[in-house]
Amino acid sequence: MVMGKRIKKSRVVNRSILMVLLVSLFAVGVMFVADDAKAEENKRFKIFLSLSYSGNVWQSSAANIVKALAKTPPYDEMVELTEVISGSNVEKQISDYQSMIANGADGIISFPVSPTGLNRVIREGSKKGVLFFMYDSTVTEPSAYNVSYITAGHGENTAQYLVNLMGGKGTVMINRGVPGNSVDMRHYNGSMAIFKRYPGIKVVNEYYGYWDDAKSQQATSQALAAYPDVDGICSQLGEYGVLRACLASGSKKIPFIVGEDTNGIRLAFADPEMQKRGLKGVSAGSPPATAGYAFKLMMELLTENRKDLVHNIEYPLPWVEWDKVKLCKGDVFEDGCNCFPADKVAPTMTDEVLHPVLLPEISLKSAQTGEPMPGARIQPLPKDVTEARSEPGINCNPKSGKCVDPVYEPYMVTPIPVPK
Amino acid sequence: MKNNSVDERFGGRNDGVAGFIKSNKVTVAVYIVTILLYVVTLFVSPSFRNWHHLMLVLVLASFLIVVSYGQGIVILVRGLDLSVGSMITLSGVLVAAWVSQSNENILWAIPLVLLITTFIGMLNGIGATLLRIPPFVMTLSTGIIVFSVVLGFTEGSPHKGNAPRFLNGMMLDHTAGIPNIVYFLILFIFVAVIVQSYSAFGRKLYALGANPKAAHISGLRNNLLTISAFGISGFCCGLVGMMLVGYTDAPTLTMGDPYVMSSIAAVVVGGSSILGGKGNYLGTVGGVLLLTILSTLITAIGLAEGWRTIIQGAIIVMALIMSSVSERNTKIASAQKNISKSVPETQKV
Amino acid sequence: MRNSILERCFNALLTNGAFLALVMYLIIFIIYGISQGSYAVSVYGITVLFNNSIVIAIAAVAETFIILMGGFDLSVAGIVVLTNTLIAVQQGAGVGGALLCLIIAIGVGGVIGCINGFLVSRIGLQSIAATLGTSILCSGIALLVLAQPGGYVPDEIAYTLTDSIGPIPVAAIIALLIGLISWILLRKTNFGAGIYALGRDRTAAELSGIATRSVEFRAYVMAGIFSGLAGFMLSAQTGTGDPHLSNSFILLTFAAVAIGGVSFDGGHGSVIGSIIGAGILALLQKTLFSVGVSSFYTGIFQGSIMLLAMLVGSLSLIISKRRAVS
Repeated sequence: MVMGKRIKKSRVVNRSILMVLLVSLFAVGVMFVADDAKAEENKRFKIFLSLSYSGNVWQSSAANIVKALAKTPPYDEMVELTEVISGSNVEKQISDYQSMIANGADGIISFPVSPTGLNRVIREGSKKGVLFFMYDSTVTEPSAYNVSYITAGHGENTAQYLVNLMGGKGTVMINRGVPGNSVDMRHYNGSMAIFKRYPGIKVVNEYYGYWDDAKSQQATSQALAAYPDVDGICSQLGEYGVLRACLASGSKKIPFIVGEDTNGIRLAFADPEMQKRGLKGVSAGSPPATAGYAFKLMMELLTENRKDLVHNIEYPLPWVEWDKVKLCKGDVFEDGCNCFPADKVAPTMTDEVLHPVLLPEISLKSAQTGEPMPGARIQPLPKDVTEARSEPGINCNPKSGKCVDPVYEPYMVTPIPVPK
Repeated sequence: MKNNSVDERFGGRNDGVAGFIKSNKVTVAVYIVTILLYVVTLFVSPSFRNWHHLMLVLVLASFLIVVSYGQGIVILVRGLDLSVGSMITLSGVLVAAWVSQSNENILWAIPLVLLITTFIGMLNGIGATLLRIPPFVMTLSTGIIVFSVVLGFTEGSPHKGNAPRFLNGMMLDHTAGIPNIVYFLILFIFVAVIVQSYSAFGRKLYALGANPKAAHISGLRNNLLTISAFGISGFCCGLVGMMLVGYTDAPTLTMGDPYVMSSIAAVVVGGSSILGGKGNYLGTVGGVLLLTILSTLITAIGLAEGWRTIIQGAIIVMALIMSSVSERNTKIASAQKNISKSVPETQKV
Repeated sequence: MRNSILERCFNALLTNGAFLALVMYLIIFIIYGISQGSYAVSVYGITVLFNNSIVIAIAAVAETFIILMGGFDLSVAGIVVLTNTLIAVQQGAGVGGALLCLIIAIGVGGVIGCINGFLVSRIGLQSIAATLGTSILCSGIALLVLAQPGGYVPDEIAYTLTDSIGPIPVAAIIALLIGLISWILLRKTNFGAGIYALGRDRTAAELSGIATRSVEFRAYVMAGIFSGLAGFMLSAQTGTGDPHLSNSFILLTFAAVAIGGVSFDGGHGSVIGSIIGAGILALLQKTLFSVGVSSFYTGIFQGSIMLLAMLVGSLSLIISKRRAVS
């Protein structure tokens, strides 16, 4: 014992470090063997799906659509899809992209956490021939493909609809998204551009709901307490929370609400009881279906069914006015229906998981489970895509100088004249 | 001599209001600041001047009031619970998955969920005591693990599942003009205060927090006490998860996140020492109300998010400085008292 | 001499947290290597691995200074994000710009560190609560500095720091430098000895004539500066500013320190352990990816490794106490 104690600790550590080094050398040898064995696999397109953030229904619907498409013939024979959740951490997503590139990705389809932070790794990957398709959120790296509704003008169109409902006069509150996020900024700037054109419109309050129904509900409750007589609420994602706050406010009257695509708000628009209390509005916003569209575009490029493609692609803005809400009987949008019964989906589920033209292969069930629709086959996309405007900080790097500043002109509704 | 001093001590306690204020200076200060702030909000926004707004503050505060009780008890015994966020989410997801939009399974689902979260809380306690893992790391790890399990269980998101009707009614319906949840809160606070401040169990917790070694020597079962403190925190998380689901109608996997830091902040602002052994639940409730009223005030003014965040941070630091100053004052005061007391004693001798 | 090498290794495993972390790292690396193939040992692969861990590694070094004293510093995340936004909005370019960025990083970290140090050592606030406050303050200021993601980091920083010089990743050199500087600070100076003494027993440290307040203050300043440097490295990685840092950042920092075998009661552990701990977190992520474990379950592995490291730590304490008794 005494002798053992006399031996200096550092020597013990040194020897063990040596041992471990030897072991790791051995491991390196094993690796090369393992690498050779790997090359034998049969050739399929290796596609990686990188979700930024899991935990809300929106993200998993988008992922499920991609998963279902990858299992729909003939893609089921052609694609090897791996799903990775990168959380909301840029560092982690950078690391995941690098792993994907290292694992021989042919394509990466992703919801990017940051419009600028991923640019370098994307550039590196693109140089190695990896296709990057971003859905819904965008990056400013020119070598990536952005498929998004952002440039379609959610802010200005919904704000104009609200102004029209209000007759150009009254008070408005704005439920914003995540502070410090460029999508929130784009929507907000769009809305404010419209509100400023009408001197009768007063924006009395704005707050952040973090695109989350629970947070939107709490913040709206607080704001409603300060402005109980507000005429309209202009909301980003989280509108169902806004509605719940209005219902809980104890006031009989419900203000006009314009927001995004949750099933809850659409059902409420169609509810005669709610209509009697004054609820009107429009449901328009970020569609998870974008992910499916992006995936199909990517596959068409990979399979060489599409020769060239612009890098900024616009997905049409979903648009359902309160009096156009129609309940679906089945699992797909047919006969112009656009929402589902309450016992089928959660109220926070985004309805825009389907698109009759772009995604006929997808049913509500596939968006909920990630399983393909029985009997479905992949249908080719329409030849033409809509090129999105290159807006600085959204899908265009202002350093490149090719960006165009957004023009906030609503096109889904005709603006009413400014009341005198 | 001995009798005298004992009498004095008890006399101090039985002095009624004055005595209470003397022994709970920080708590009283918190409430004074809270009330002042509330008065300010009434001036800022005239529409706040009604019964309804007061009720709204209570409903919004209810979640934090309940989580902070568990957090406070854990902090009292020198622990810290960083797993509250994941446990709230777990509870919300489970209850919505098992009792969807009906009241069918509610009789077994609610107790079962509470049992699960309490059990995980106790696991935290076991790690912190028997395995001697620092509570900070133990609860951090369980938090990460529990969240990971929830993520796997829901495969990324709680697709189906609405709030049970009962919970919906609990959070949104009114009885006699008062939201149902407020009745529950009153009951909860009443029981909580009794358990923490007026029961043998509570006194043991204080003794443990103030001096674990002394508590052990005097025959307290420290490990068991710590484990039950963590269990209480788990139980509270279970309750909050259900309340949140009732409030928002559908669970999300991030719904517990905001409550980790804010529950610690509430306990600290409420005048408890984060090193344990000191503080009471009424102070914490005051802290929660202070933070909630502040947040309504900030929303009413419509400040930019950057400023909101700055103000929140500043409030925490200020509350800390205040309570540490008042603590020092009481220490000095009691030291002077001791000196002044001891002087005549020596004279007698 | 009866003790065999194996037995001694085993002892070192139990008593030296950094060594245990190193062994864990190598074991995970072997699994990673087997499933990933030659990429794992390519220069690019290794560079990527270092780049992924360097930010958390530096943040963990900062945290270690405080944890060694038995405190907690939650402001690391706040300082990182504030530094990042300030660097992104500064207009300088070229080498001058890069230097300016470095000064910003050290300056911001130093100032916030001073505030923390003042609050904790002079006013006597509880470290965890005080730094929670300053952290929230910092993230608020960051939102005012940069309203949305954007801005540019000079290419000199973004490219040089993430590249490799020959076969050696720059990030590895930085990790080595940071490790060396902090190791010297902690092990070779009175200041460092003071930190350890403070963490072991505050009263004893005071009685033995250590200026505890001054040591504490300086430790917070050092932690602040290292946090600023972590922000600097984060900016180099992303090449841009973002006022939103994920919540998980601070958790990962603590996880790295815990895995590195630093005792959360203070007084025991080393910065080397924390750096390796950060490496393990990054490596674990890559390994789970290449083995094909669903990313839902990453957390289970992260949490378990933390618990394992801490369990071994507490076990070694018990063993050494028993030995001391016998």
